[in-house]
Amino acid sequence: MAYNKPVPPQGQHTKPFWDGAKDGKLMLPKCNDCGAVHWYPRLICPYCHSTNLRWIEGSGLGRIHTFAVQHRAFGGWAEDVPYVTAYIDLDEGDRMMTVLRGVDGNKPEDIKIGARVKVEFEQGNDDTYIPFWRVTEEA
Amino acid sequence: MASPNLSNAAAIVGAAEADVIGYREELTGHKATSLQLHIEAINNVCKYTGIPIADIQGVFSAGWTGELAEHLGIHPRYLDTTSVGGCSFQIHVHHALAAIHAGIIDIALVSHGEAGWSYRGGGGGGGGRGGGQISPGAEMTMAYGTFGAPSQYAHAMVRHFHDYGTTLEDFAHIAVVTRDWAQLNPRAVMYGKAQSPFGGPITVQDVVDARIIAWPLTLYNCCLVTDHGGAVIVARPEIARDLATNPVWITGAGESIGHQNMVEMEDFTATSASRSSATAYEMAGMGPDDMEMAMIYDSFTITAAITAEMLGLAPRGKGYTLWKNGDAAQGGRLPINTSGGGLSFNHSGMYGMQLLVEAYRQLSRTAEDGVNGIEGKQTNATTCIVNGTGGTLSTTGTLVLTSDDR
Repeated sequence: MAYNKPVPPQGQHTKPFWDGAKDGKLMLPKCNDCGAVHWYPRLICPYCHSTNLRWIEGSGLGRIHTFAVQHRAFGGWAEDVPYVTAYIDLDEGDRMMTVLRGVDGNKPEDIKIGARVKVEFEQGNDDTYIPFWRVTEEA
Repeated sequence: MASPNLSNAAAIVGAAEADVIGYREELTGHKATSLQLHIEAINNVCKYTGIPIADIQGVFSAGWTGELAEHLGIHPRYLDTTSVGGCSFQIHVHHALAAIHAGIIDIALVSHGEAGWSYRGGGGGGGGRGGGQISPGAEMTMAYGTFGAPSQYAHAMVRHFHDYGTTLEDFAHIAVVTRDWAQLNPRAVMYGKAQSPFGGPITVQDVVDARIIAWPLTLYNCCLVTDHGGAVIVARPEIARDLATNPVWITGAGESIGHQNMVEMEDFTATSASRSSATAYEMAGMGPDDMEMAMIYDSFTITAAITAEMLGLAPRGKGYTLWKNGDAAQGGRLPINTSGGGLSFNHSGMYGMQLLVEAYRQLSRTAEDGVNGIEGKQTNATTCIVNGTGGTLSTTGTLVLTSDDR
Protein backbone atom coordinates (compact mmCIF):
# COMPACT_ATOMS: atom_id res chain seq x y z
CA MET A 1 0.00 0.00 0.00
CA ALA A 2 1.29 3.44 -0.88
CA TYR A 3 2.48 5.53 2.03
CA ASN A 4 -0.39 7.86 2.92
CA LYS A 5 1.15 10.22 5.48
CA PRO A 6 3.10 13.47 5.04
CA VAL A 7 6.53 12.95 3.48
CA PRO A 8 9.10 15.69 4.20
CA PRO A 9 10.31 17.69 1.20
CA GLN A 10 14.07 17.21 1.05
CA GLY A 11 15.89 20.39 2.01
CA GLN A 12 18.90 21.68 0.18
CA HIS A 13 21.43 20.94 2.89
CA THR A 14 20.38 17.44 3.95
CA LYS A 15 20.95 15.27 0.86
CA PRO A 16 23.47 12.96 2.61
CA PHE A 17 20.88 12.19 5.25
CA TRP A 18 18.18 11.21 2.77
CA ASP A 19 20.64 9.34 0.54
CA GLY A 20 21.70 7.36 3.59
CA ALA A 21 18.14 6.69 4.61
CA LYS A 22 17.45 5.16 1.22
CA ASP A 23 20.30 2.74 1.92
CA GLY A 24 19.06 1.99 5.42
CA LYS A 25 21.72 4.12 7.10
CA LEU A 26 21.12 6.77 9.77
CA MET A 27 23.46 9.56 8.74
CA LEU A 28 24.30 12.14 11.41
CA PRO A 29 26.14 15.46 11.27
CA LYS A 30 29.35 15.56 13.31
CA CYS A 31 31.69 18.43 14.04
CA ASN A 32 35.31 17.84 13.06
CA ASP A 33 36.50 20.38 15.61
CA CYS A 34 34.63 19.63 18.85
CA GLY A 35 33.55 16.10 17.93
CA ALA A 36 29.92 16.59 18.90
CA VAL A 37 27.09 15.01 16.93
CA HIS A 38 24.11 17.29 16.59
CA TRP A 39 20.53 16.87 15.46
CA TYR A 40 18.73 18.28 13.48
CA PRO A 41 21.32 19.02 10.74
CA ARG A 42 22.88 22.47 10.88
CA LEU A 43 25.03 24.64 8.66
CA ILE A 44 27.13 25.40 11.73
CA CYS A 45 27.89 23.37 14.85
CA PRO A 46 25.46 24.54 17.56
CA TYR A 47 27.99 23.62 20.25
CA CYS A 48 31.27 25.23 19.12
CA HIS A 49 30.18 27.23 16.04
CA SER A 50 32.62 25.54 13.70
CA THR A 51 31.54 25.07 10.08
CA ASN A 52 33.94 22.13 9.70
CA LEU A 53 31.26 19.46 9.65
CA ARG A 54 30.90 16.00 8.10
CA TRP A 55 28.30 13.24 7.93
CA ILE A 56 28.89 9.97 9.76
CA GLU A 57 26.89 6.76 9.77
CA GLY A 58 25.21 6.48 13.16
CA SER A 59 24.63 3.27 15.07
CA GLY A 60 20.87 3.57 14.71
CA LEU A 61 20.52 2.90 18.43
CA GLY A 62 19.04 5.03 21.17
CA ARG A 63 16.70 5.26 24.14
CA ILE A 64 13.26 6.79 24.72
CA HIS A 65 13.61 10.24 26.29
CA THR A 66 9.87 10.90 26.54
CA PHE A 67 6.69 10.06 24.64
CA ALA A 68 2.99 10.81 24.22
CA VAL A 69 0.03 8.97 22.77
CA GLN A 70 -1.82 10.75 19.98
CA HIS A 71 -5.58 10.29 20.03
CA ARG A 72 -6.51 13.12 17.68
CA ALA A 73 -5.03 13.12 14.19
CA PHE A 74 -5.83 13.97 10.60
CA GLY A 75 -5.12 12.63 7.11
CA GLY A 76 -3.28 9.33 6.94
CA TRP A 77 -2.37 9.48 10.61
CA ALA A 78 -6.06 9.40 11.63
CA GLU A 79 -6.17 5.70 10.69
CA ASP A 80 -3.40 4.92 13.17
CA VAL A 81 -4.74 6.43 16.42
CA PRO A 82 -3.80 5.85 19.14
CA TYR A 83 -0.15 5.95 18.07
CA VAL A 84 2.90 6.84 20.13
CA THR A 85 5.13 9.81 19.31
CA ALA A 86 8.48 10.01 21.06
CA TYR A 87 11.78 11.77 21.39
CA ILE A 88 14.83 9.52 21.13
CA ASP A 89 18.18 10.09 22.81
CA LEU A 90 20.72 8.90 20.23
CA ASP A 91 23.66 6.82 21.43
CA GLU A 92 25.87 9.36 19.61
CA GLY A 93 24.26 12.27 21.51
CA ASP A 94 21.43 14.76 20.87
CA ARG A 95 17.84 13.84 20.12
CA MET A 96 15.45 12.91 17.30
CA MET A 97 11.68 12.84 17.03
CA THR A 98 9.77 9.78 15.85
CA VAL A 99 6.69 7.61 15.98
CA LEU A 100 7.47 4.44 17.93
CA ARG A 101 7.06 1.00 16.42
CA GLY A 102 6.45 -2.12 18.49
CA VAL A 103 4.33 -0.43 21.19
CA ASP A 104 0.60 -0.38 21.99
CA GLY A 105 -0.91 3.11 22.28
CA ASN A 106 -3.70 1.67 24.40
CA LYS A 107 -1.17 0.62 27.04
CA PRO A 108 1.01 3.69 27.69
CA GLU A 109 1.85 2.33 31.14
CA ASP A 110 3.85 -0.42 29.40
CA ILE A 111 6.06 2.08 27.54
CA LYS A 112 9.16 2.98 29.52
CA ILE A 113 11.34 6.07 29.34
CA GLY A 114 14.88 4.78 28.86
CA ALA A 115 13.78 1.75 26.81
CA ARG A 116 16.18 0.67 24.05
CA VAL A 117 15.16 1.51 20.48
CA LYS A 118 16.56 0.77 17.02
CA VAL A 119 16.00 2.74 13.84
CA GLU A 120 14.23 1.37 10.76
CA PHE A 121 13.18 3.07 7.55
CA GLU A 122 9.86 3.20 5.78
CA GLN A 123 9.48 4.23 2.14
CA GLY A 124 7.57 7.50 1.81
CA ASN A 125 8.09 7.96 -1.91
CA ASP A 126 10.68 7.10 -4.58
CA ASP A 127 13.39 9.26 -2.99
CA THR A 128 12.48 9.59 0.65
CA TYR A 129 12.71 6.87 3.27
CA ILE A 130 11.59 8.02 6.71
CA PRO A 131 13.30 6.87 9.91
CA PHE A 132 11.12 5.35 12.62
CA TRP A 133 12.27 3.73 15.84
CA ARG A 134 11.30 0.33 17.24
CA VAL A 135 11.41 -0.66 20.90
CA THR A 136 13.76 -3.63 21.17
CA GLU A 137 13.92 -4.18 24.94
CA GLU A 138 12.74 -2.72 28.21
CA ALA A 139 14.55 0.10 30.01
CA MET B 1 8.62 65.49 26.71
CA ALA B 2 11.74 64.22 28.34
CA SER B 3 13.88 62.34 25.86
CA PRO B 4 16.40 59.73 26.87
CA ASN B 5 19.87 60.57 25.69
CA LEU B 6 20.53 57.82 23.18
CA SER B 7 23.28 59.66 21.36
CA ASN B 8 26.49 57.64 21.25
CA ALA B 9 25.00 54.96 23.39
CA ALA B 10 26.13 52.30 20.90
CA ALA B 11 28.15 51.95 17.67
CA ILE B 12 28.24 49.59 14.69
CA VAL B 13 31.48 47.70 15.22
CA GLY B 14 31.64 45.54 12.07
CA ALA B 15 29.82 44.48 8.93
CA ALA B 16 30.02 41.45 6.64
CA GLU B 17 28.17 39.60 3.92
CA ALA B 18 27.47 35.98 3.04
CA ASP B 19 30.26 34.06 1.30
CA VAL B 20 28.70 34.39 -2.15
CA ILE B 21 26.07 36.94 -3.09
CA GLY B 22 24.47 38.02 -6.32
CA TYR B 23 23.47 35.23 -8.73
CA ARG B 24 24.40 32.47 -6.38
CA GLU B 25 23.00 29.58 -8.36
CA GLU B 26 25.14 30.52 -11.38
CA LEU B 27 28.23 31.18 -9.26
CA THR B 28 28.13 28.05 -7.12
CA GLY B 29 25.91 25.60 -8.95
CA HIS B 30 23.44 25.57 -6.10
CA LYS B 31 20.49 27.68 -5.10
CA ALA B 32 21.03 29.56 -1.86
CA THR B 33 18.60 29.34 0.99
CA SER B 34 17.77 32.40 3.07
CA LEU B 35 18.91 30.55 6.15
CA GLN B 36 22.27 29.83 4.58
CA LEU B 37 22.74 33.50 3.69
CA HIS B 38 21.98 34.49 7.27
CA ILE B 39 24.37 31.96 8.80
CA GLU B 40 27.27 32.79 6.49
CA ALA B 41 26.90 36.51 7.16
CA ILE B 42 26.67 35.99 10.90
CA ASN B 43 29.70 33.72 10.95
CA ASN B 44 31.62 36.23 8.87
CA VAL B 45 30.78 39.29 10.94
CA CYS B 46 31.63 37.48 14.13
CA LYS B 47 34.98 36.43 12.73
CA TYR B 48 35.58 39.97 11.46
CA THR B 49 34.91 41.59 14.79
CA GLY B 50 36.39 38.81 16.91
CA ILE B 51 33.14 38.57 18.83
CA PRO B 52 32.24 34.89 19.35
CA ILE B 53 28.74 33.90 18.28
CA ALA B 54 28.22 32.73 21.84
CA ASP B 55 28.57 36.32 23.08
CA ILE B 56 25.56 37.58 21.12
CA GLN B 57 22.94 38.77 23.61
CA GLY B 58 20.29 40.15 21.29
CA VAL B 59 19.10 38.93 17.89
CA PHE B 60 17.32 41.35 15.55
CA SER B 61 15.92 40.09 12.22
CA ALA B 62 12.90 40.39 9.96
CA GLY B 63 11.02 37.32 11.03
CA TRP B 64 13.92 34.93 11.50
CA THR B 65 14.96 35.48 15.10
CA GLY B 66 13.72 32.21 16.60
CA GLU B 67 15.10 30.16 13.75
CA LEU B 68 18.48 31.89 13.90
CA ALA B 69 18.90 31.62 17.66
CA GLU B 70 18.10 27.93 17.54
CA HIS B 71 20.34 27.27 14.56
CA LEU B 72 23.24 28.96 16.33
CA GLY B 73 22.50 27.18 19.59
CA ILE B 74 22.39 30.43 21.55
CA HIS B 75 19.91 31.74 24.10
CA PRO B 76 19.77 35.50 23.62
CA ARG B 77 17.94 37.62 26.16
CA TYR B 78 16.66 40.17 23.68
CA LEU B 79 14.56 39.02 20.71
CA ASP B 80 13.37 41.39 17.96
CA THR B 81 11.85 40.04 14.79
CA THR B 82 10.34 43.26 13.50
CA SER B 83 9.45 42.74 9.85
CA VAL B 84 8.14 45.88 8.18
CA GLY B 85 9.78 45.83 4.76
CA GLY B 86 13.05 47.22 3.49
CA CYS B 87 13.55 49.69 6.31
CA SER B 88 13.41 46.90 8.90
CA PHE B 89 17.16 46.87 9.34
CA GLN B 90 17.46 50.56 10.12
CA ILE B 91 14.72 49.98 12.65
CA HIS B 92 16.60 47.00 14.09
CA VAL B 93 19.63 49.19 14.64
CA HIS B 94 17.43 51.72 16.37
CA HIS B 95 15.96 49.03 18.61
CA ALA B 96 19.41 47.66 19.34
CA LEU B 97 20.59 51.11 20.32
CA ALA B 98 17.70 51.51 22.70
CA ALA B 99 18.25 48.08 24.19
CA ILE B 100 21.91 48.78 24.74
CA HIS B 101 21.26 52.22 26.16
CA ALA B 102 18.79 50.68 28.53
CA GLY B 103 21.46 48.34 29.79
CA ILE B 104 19.65 45.18 28.77
CA ILE B 105 22.34 43.95 26.40
CA ASP B 106 25.85 44.86 25.37
CA ILE B 107 26.09 43.04 22.03
CA ALA B 108 23.32 42.92 19.40
CA LEU B 109 23.30 40.99 16.12
CA VAL B 110 21.28 42.39 13.21
CA SER B 111 21.01 39.76 10.47
CA HIS B 112 19.56 39.52 6.99
CA GLY B 113 19.33 36.57 4.57
CA GLU B 114 17.12 36.52 1.52
CA ALA B 115 17.47 34.17 -1.47
CA GLY B 116 15.79 36.63 -3.80
CA TRP B 117 17.46 35.30 -6.96
CA SER B 118 17.63 31.60 -6.18
CA TYR B 119 13.91 31.63 -5.40
CA ARG B 120 12.89 34.41 -7.74
CA GLY B 121 9.27 34.52 -8.74
CA GLY B 122 8.16 33.41 -5.31
CA GLY B 123 7.21 36.91 -4.30
CA GLY B 124 7.99 38.68 -1.06
CA GLY B 125 6.80 37.60 2.33
CA GLY B 126 7.12 38.14 6.06
CA GLY B 127 10.56 36.57 6.14
CA GLY B 128 11.58 37.81 2.70
CA ARG B 129 12.06 35.93 -0.58
CA GLY B 130 13.19 32.34 -0.30
CA GLY B 131 11.88 32.17 3.24
CA GLY B 132 9.58 29.37 2.15
CA GLN B 133 12.40 26.81 1.97
CA ILE B 134 11.67 24.22 4.62
CA SER B 135 13.73 24.68 7.76
CA PRO B 136 15.81 21.65 8.74
CA GLY B 137 13.97 21.49 12.07
CA ALA B 138 10.62 21.11 10.31
CA GLU B 139 12.07 18.79 7.67
CA MET B 140 13.20 16.32 10.32
CA THR B 141 10.01 16.34 12.42
CA MET B 142 7.05 16.81 10.07
CA ALA B 143 6.73 13.10 9.29
CA TYR B 144 5.76 12.15 12.81
CA GLY B 145 2.07 12.79 13.18
CA THR B 146 1.83 15.68 15.60
CA PHE B 147 -1.12 18.03 15.20
CA GLY B 148 -1.00 21.28 17.12
CA ALA B 149 0.11 22.15 20.62
CA PRO B 150 -1.50 19.34 22.67
CA SER B 151 0.27 16.66 20.66
CA GLN B 152 3.62 18.19 21.61
CA TYR B 153 3.03 19.43 25.17
CA ALA B 154 1.98 15.90 26.20
CA HIS B 155 5.63 14.82 25.88
CA ALA B 156 6.59 17.29 28.61
CA MET B 157 3.97 15.94 31.00
CA VAL B 158 5.15 12.34 30.52
CA ARG B 159 8.71 13.41 31.28
CA HIS B 160 7.49 15.31 34.38
CA PHE B 161 5.77 12.11 35.58
CA HIS B 162 9.04 10.26 35.08
CA ASP B 163 11.38 12.80 36.66
CA TYR B 164 9.27 13.81 39.66
CA GLY B 165 6.74 11.02 40.22
CA THR B 166 3.84 13.35 39.51
CA THR B 167 0.46 12.07 38.30
CA LEU B 168 -2.41 13.26 36.15
CA GLU B 169 -4.36 13.80 39.38
CA ASP B 170 -1.71 16.28 40.56
CA PHE B 171 -2.09 18.35 37.40
CA ALA B 172 -5.89 18.07 37.50
CA HIS B 173 -5.94 20.38 40.52
CA ILE B 174 -4.71 23.18 38.26
CA ALA B 175 -7.72 22.75 35.98
CA VAL B 176 -10.12 22.58 38.93
CA VAL B 177 -8.84 25.68 40.73
CA THR B 178 -8.66 27.66 37.49
CA ARG B 179 -12.24 26.64 36.65
CA ASP B 180 -13.30 27.88 40.11
CA TRP B 181 -11.83 31.32 39.34
CA ALA B 182 -13.85 31.39 36.10
CA GLN B 183 -17.03 31.13 38.17
CA LEU B 184 -16.33 34.73 39.31
CA ASN B 185 -15.93 36.02 35.77
CA PRO B 186 -19.10 36.38 33.68
CA ARG B 187 -16.99 36.86 30.57
CA ALA B 188 -15.40 33.46 31.01
CA VAL B 189 -16.45 30.78 28.53
CA MET B 190 -16.73 28.32 31.41
CA TYR B 191 -18.68 30.69 33.72
CA GLY B 192 -21.62 28.59 34.83
CA LYS B 193 -23.94 26.43 32.82
CA ALA B 194 -25.75 29.43 31.33
CA GLN B 195 -22.64 30.37 29.39
CA SER B 196 -21.80 26.89 28.15
CA PRO B 197 -23.28 23.45 28.72
CA PHE B 198 -19.76 22.47 29.70
CA GLY B 199 -19.39 25.39 32.14
CA GLY B 200 -19.50 25.42 35.92
CA PRO B 201 -17.17 23.86 38.46
CA ILE B 202 -15.37 20.60 37.74
CA THR B 203 -13.70 17.97 39.93
CA VAL B 204 -10.34 16.24 39.80
CA GLN B 205 -12.16 13.10 38.70
CA ASP B 206 -13.86 15.01 35.86
CA VAL B 207 -10.44 16.11 34.61
CA VAL B 208 -8.93 12.63 34.81
CA ASP B 209 -11.94 10.99 33.12
CA ALA B 210 -12.31 13.53 30.31
CA ARG B 211 -11.69 12.57 26.70
CA ILE B 212 -8.00 12.01 25.85
CA ILE B 213 -6.59 14.50 23.34
CA ALA B 214 -2.94 13.44 23.49
CA TRP B 215 -2.22 11.10 26.38
CA PRO B 216 -1.80 12.03 29.14
CA LEU B 217 -3.52 15.34 28.32
CA THR B 218 -7.27 15.01 28.68
CA LEU B 219 -9.63 17.70 27.42
CA TYR B 220 -9.68 19.68 30.68
CA ASN B 221 -5.88 19.81 30.76
CA CYS B 222 -6.05 21.81 27.53
CA CYS B 223 -6.88 25.46 27.01
CA LEU B 224 -9.97 26.72 25.21
CA VAL B 225 -10.06 27.88 21.60
CA THR B 226 -11.91 31.21 21.52
CA ASP B 227 -12.00 34.71 20.08
CA HIS B 228 -10.37 37.60 21.91
CA GLY B 229 -9.27 41.14 21.37
CA GLY B 230 -7.40 43.23 23.91
CA ALA B 231 -5.05 46.16 24.24
CA VAL B 232 -3.07 48.01 26.87
CA ILE B 233 -1.52 51.45 26.70
CA VAL B 234 1.92 52.05 28.11
CA ALA B 235 2.95 55.63 28.93
CA ARG B 236 5.83 57.34 30.63
CA PRO B 237 5.51 58.21 34.33
CA GLU B 238 4.61 61.90 33.95
CA ILE B 239 1.71 61.04 31.67
CA ALA B 240 0.65 58.10 33.75
CA ARG B 241 0.46 60.25 36.86
CA ASP B 242 -1.67 62.90 35.12
CA LEU B 243 -4.32 60.44 33.94
CA ALA B 244 -7.41 59.62 35.94
CA THR B 245 -6.73 55.91 35.66
CA ASN B 246 -4.57 54.02 38.13
CA PRO B 247 -1.12 53.23 36.85
CA VAL B 248 0.42 49.77 37.12
CA TRP B 249 4.16 49.99 37.06
CA ILE B 250 6.37 47.90 34.83
CA THR B 251 8.92 47.16 37.51
CA GLY B 252 10.77 44.33 35.83
CA ALA B 253 10.92 42.72 32.41
CA GLY B 254 12.82 39.93 30.71
CA GLU B 255 12.65 37.56 27.78
CA SER B 256 14.43 34.46 26.52
CA ILE B 257 14.22 31.39 24.32
CA GLY B 258 14.91 27.73 24.90
CA HIS B 259 14.32 26.42 21.39
CA GLN B 260 12.09 26.82 18.36
CA ASN B 261 11.29 23.17 17.60
CA MET B 262 10.51 20.83 20.48
CA VAL B 263 13.17 18.39 19.23
CA GLU B 264 15.68 20.95 20.53
CA MET B 265 14.14 21.15 24.03
CA GLU B 266 17.06 20.20 26.24
CA ASP B 267 15.08 19.56 29.44
CA PHE B 268 11.43 18.64 28.87
CA THR B 269 10.48 19.87 32.34
CA ALA B 270 12.09 23.31 32.08
CA THR B 271 11.50 26.46 30.03
CA SER B 272 13.40 29.68 29.43
CA ALA B 273 11.15 31.32 32.03
CA SER B 274 13.98 30.61 34.47
CA ARG B 275 16.11 33.05 32.49
CA SER B 276 13.44 35.59 31.55
CA SER B 277 12.22 35.78 35.13
CA ALA B 278 15.76 36.09 36.49
CA THR B 279 16.19 39.17 34.29
CA ALA B 280 12.84 40.57 35.37
CA TYR B 281 13.43 39.92 39.07
CA GLU B 282 16.86 41.51 38.88
CA MET B 283 15.47 44.62 37.18
CA ALA B 284 12.74 44.83 39.79
CA GLY B 285 15.05 44.21 42.73
CA MET B 286 12.59 41.58 43.85
CA GLY B 287 12.33 37.82 43.99
CA PRO B 288 9.69 35.11 43.93
CA ASP B 289 8.89 35.61 47.62
CA ASP B 290 7.87 39.21 46.88
CA MET B 291 5.18 38.12 44.41
CA GLU B 292 1.63 38.32 45.76
CA MET B 293 -0.17 37.19 42.60
CA ALA B 294 0.73 35.49 39.33
CA MET B 295 -0.62 35.44 35.80
CA ILE B 296 0.85 32.34 34.19
CA TYR B 297 0.18 31.29 30.63
CA ASP B 298 -1.82 28.08 31.02
CA SER B 299 -2.08 26.66 27.53
CA PHE B 300 -2.08 23.33 29.35
CA THR B 301 -1.92 22.36 32.99
CA ILE B 302 1.66 21.21 32.44
CA THR B 303 2.58 24.67 31.13
CA ALA B 304 1.30 26.35 34.28
CA ALA B 305 3.00 23.85 36.58
CA ILE B 306 6.40 23.97 34.91
CA THR B 307 6.26 27.75 34.64
CA ALA B 308 5.51 28.16 38.35
CA GLU B 309 8.66 26.14 38.98
CA MET B 310 10.73 28.21 36.56
CA LEU B 311 9.51 31.46 38.17
CA GLY B 312 10.75 30.20 41.54
CA LEU B 313 7.24 30.16 43.00
CA ALA B 314 7.61 26.44 43.80
CA PRO B 315 10.52 23.96 43.83
CA ARG B 316 11.27 21.87 40.72
CA GLY B 317 8.67 19.15 40.35
CA LYS B 318 6.31 20.80 42.83
CA GLY B 319 4.61 23.49 40.76
CA TYR B 320 1.24 21.74 40.93
CA THR B 321 1.22 22.01 44.74
CA LEU B 322 0.38 25.73 44.52
CA TRP B 323 -3.01 24.73 43.14
CA LYS B 324 -3.41 21.49 45.07
CA ASN B 325 -2.86 23.12 48.47
CA GLY B 326 -5.02 26.15 47.69
CA ASP B 327 -2.34 28.85 47.45
CA ALA B 328 -3.44 29.68 43.89
CA ALA B 329 -7.16 29.53 44.67
CA GLN B 330 -9.65 32.16 45.79
CA GLY B 331 -8.50 33.39 49.20
CA GLY B 332 -5.10 31.75 48.79
CA ARG B 333 -1.76 33.42 49.53
CA LEU B 334 -0.77 33.59 45.82
CA PRO B 335 -3.81 33.93 43.54
CA ILE B 336 -3.00 32.62 40.05
CA ASN B 337 -4.95 33.27 36.84
CA THR B 338 -7.82 35.08 38.55
CA SER B 339 -9.72 35.49 35.27
CA GLY B 340 -10.16 31.76 34.86
CA GLY B 341 -7.08 31.45 32.68
CA GLY B 342 -6.63 30.03 29.24
CA LEU B 343 -8.14 26.84 30.60
CA SER B 344 -11.55 28.30 31.50
CA PHE B 345 -11.74 32.02 30.64
CA ASN B 346 -10.47 32.53 27.10
CA HIS B 347 -7.64 31.40 24.84
CA SER B 348 -7.60 32.77 21.33
CA GLY B 349 -4.40 31.09 20.19
CA MET B 350 -2.06 33.63 21.73
CA TYR B 351 -3.01 34.31 25.33
CA GLY B 352 -0.43 36.90 26.36
CA MET B 353 -2.78 39.86 26.09
CA GLN B 354 -5.38 38.20 28.28
CA LEU B 355 -2.70 37.84 30.98
CA LEU B 356 -1.84 41.53 30.74
CA VAL B 357 -5.44 42.75 30.87
CA GLU B 358 -6.22 40.70 33.96
CA ALA B 359 -3.01 41.77 35.73
CA TYR B 360 -3.89 45.40 35.05
CA ARG B 361 -7.45 45.01 36.30
CA GLN B 362 -6.34 43.39 39.53
CA LEU B 363 -3.42 45.68 40.34
CA SER B 364 -5.29 48.85 39.35
CA ARG B 365 -8.11 47.95 41.76
CA THR B 366 -10.64 48.07 38.95
CA ALA B 367 -11.45 44.38 38.82
CA GLU B 368 -14.69 44.94 40.68
CA ASP B 369 -16.19 47.68 38.59
CA GLY B 370 -17.97 47.51 35.32
CA VAL B 371 -16.41 44.60 33.66
CA ASN B 372 -17.43 41.93 36.08
CA GLY B 373 -18.40 43.51 39.40
CA ILE B 374 -18.22 40.27 41.34
CA GLU B 375 -17.52 40.55 45.05
CA GLY B 376 -14.56 38.45 46.12
CA LYS B 377 -12.92 38.69 42.76
CA GLN B 378 -10.68 41.52 43.89
CA THR B 379 -7.32 40.52 45.27
CA ASN B 380 -5.22 42.68 47.53
CA ALA B 381 -2.04 41.87 45.69
CA THR B 382 0.38 44.75 45.14
CA THR B 383 2.83 42.72 43.07
CA CYS B 384 2.23 40.33 40.20
CA ILE B 385 4.47 38.25 38.04
CA VAL B 386 3.16 37.79 34.50
CA ASN B 387 4.68 35.09 32.30
CA GLY B 388 3.83 34.37 28.69
CA THR B 389 5.02 31.20 26.96
CA GLY B 390 5.17 30.86 23.17
CA GLY B 391 5.58 28.03 20.70
CA THR B 392 6.10 24.55 22.13
CA LEU B 393 7.38 25.63 25.56
CA SER B 394 9.84 27.62 23.45
CA THR B 395 9.94 31.32 24.21
CA THR B 396 9.06 33.30 27.32
CA GLY B 397 8.46 36.88 28.37
CA THR B 398 8.22 37.80 32.03
CA LEU B 399 6.99 41.02 33.64
CA VAL B 400 7.01 42.05 37.27
CA LEU B 401 4.13 44.52 37.69
CA THR B 402 3.38 46.53 40.82
CA SER B 403 0.38 48.55 41.98
CA ASP B 404 0.47 52.31 42.56
CA ASP B 405 -0.65 51.90 46.17
CA ARG B 406 2.20 49.58 47.04
